[in-house]
Amino acid sequence: MVETLLLIGVVASIFVGFNIGGSSTGIAWGPPVGAGIIKKTTAAALMTFFVFLGGWTVGRNVMDTLSEGIITIELSLSAGVAVLFFIGLGILIANIFGVPVPTSMTTVGAIAGLGLATDTLNYTTIAEIITWWVVTPVIGFWIGGIIGRYIYPEVNQRVQIEKSDGPLLIFSRDSTVPKPTLGPNTTLSEVGSTTVVLVIACYMAFSAGASNVPNAAAPLVGEAGLEPNIAIVIATFAIGLGGFTIARRTMDSVGGELSDIPLLAALFVMVTASTITTLLSWIGIPISLVMATVMTIVGIGWGRATRPITFREAVTRNTKDREIVTGAITAEEMEGEPAAPIGEEEPEEVLNAGDLFNPRAIIKYVSMWIIGPSVSTLLAYGFFILVPGVV
Amino acid sequence: MTSRILVPIDDSDHASQALKYALDNYPDAEIIVLHVVGVPSMMMGEATGLALEDDISEAAAKRAKPIFKRAREIADEQGREISTVVGIGHPARQILDRAEEYDAIVLGAHGADWSRATRRFLVGNVTETVSKRAPVPVVIVR
Repeated sequence: MVETLLLIGVVASIFVGFNIGGSSTGIAWGPPVGAGIIKKTTAAALMTFFVFLGGWTVGRNVMDTLSEGIITIELSLSAGVAVLFFIGLGILIANIFGVPVPTSMTTVGAIAGLGLATDTLNYTTIAEIITWWVVTPVIGFWIGGIIGRYIYPEVNQRVQIEKSDGPLLIFSRDSTVPKPTLGPNTTLSEVGSTTVVLVIACYMAFSAGASNVPNAAAPLVGEAGLEPNIAIVIATFAIGLGGFTIARRTMDSVGGELSDIPLLAALFVMVTASTITTLLSWIGIPISLVMATVMTIVGIGWGRATRPITFREAVTRNTKDREIVTGAITAEEMEGEPAAPIGEEEPEEVLNAGDLFNPRAIIKYVSMWIIGPSVSTLLAYGFFILVPGVV
Repeated sequence: MTSRILVPIDDSDHASQALKYALDNYPDAEIIVLHVVGVPSMMMGEATGLALEDDISEAAAKRAKPIFKRAREIADEQGREISTVVGIGHPARQILDRAEEYDAIVLGAHGADWSRATRRFLVGNVTETVSKRAPVPVVIVR
């Protein structure tokens, strides 16, 4: 009986890890794959390795929080399996409706629901976690804003990320030890920038492991029956499996979004989001890598969109009296204009970059981050109240 | 005075239908097609990508070019000329902000992404919002 239940738990854990692997591989490796720097298979292999590294090291702190921090008792096997099913349910809903439901948050929600139902919830820990959930998006947005407004334009003027045709390196087979030499079109700076891109993607994979391995692994650890090391290995295996299979698709969809942004900006996003995620995981706070990523993207875009003058104008000192063009001014300018005769272009309107970041779209994200964990808490609470024998 | 008809389009079939309908039913009117770029998406990649460009107007025009090319081909078949306008950001808002300058709006029942829940979740149903809030008559084509 116990073996069967553990087996079900492991399968559920693999399902969760598999889906996490799909989405986080897409985010971490979409940009380098999109830029043609690395093959999808190589990306999945590197992903698996660095996820393991992140889960094995920093991820343990998050695992401690999930398995013995949020609730004062240890998760029993049956409770752990139930929690995994709620995490899986959240993922399923996210997949079916295509809505971003953050896994780390549903996990905490499900365990908190268990704690509420059994009156074992550690309120101090959960308050600390929720505080970080509120603060983190703000920090991500703010850092992104600073990068977008001040740092990115500067760096963009100076740095060129190149990708030449042909292989980056050629391994000559003349001697017994293969000796790498530069490919036919490779420049030294290309080697440099490619290395930077790959290192950053590995870093993001590491942070994905630190924050996401615990979601799949923690419910089965401790009283539930698995050794932490074994649970981490299973979770890594599942994430890798997702990375090699469904990530081929997510690298185009989720990762494709990051590829809509210039590679240089995507690298800034990845470094910022990975650092936020790694630091929080290090102090044991479960955090969603996707959340940190989205807020940094929005921050960078918003910071750049609301710049008072364009960078080109700033450089050429051709600033004149330009200020942020508001909708009202645009409308006034438009009024005096006669309608263009048929066949001619309409008078060029002044496009307001601020229109790109509608606050309502941002609010919808934030609402998802509130609804997701709340629903999982309520569902888990209801379940453990109705079926008290599970705990 | 010739009436001015706004036809908001994307790359969907419904949008092409709407444009054909407008050309057929308003033979004497001036047809202006509007395309919105930098639409909110799941990770705001498109919007941010556009925001990071040095010259946003130029970048937006470039992104809208294939859509307008298709619209011009449809108009050419009927020997008609159309004007084009590029908007950026939230489609419904962009349409509504301009609505008063036109005599009517003709648009497709739903855009290219109507089946994708994420887009729907983030952008809402553009046609529905426009038909509810526009100050001028709205024709919905399917």
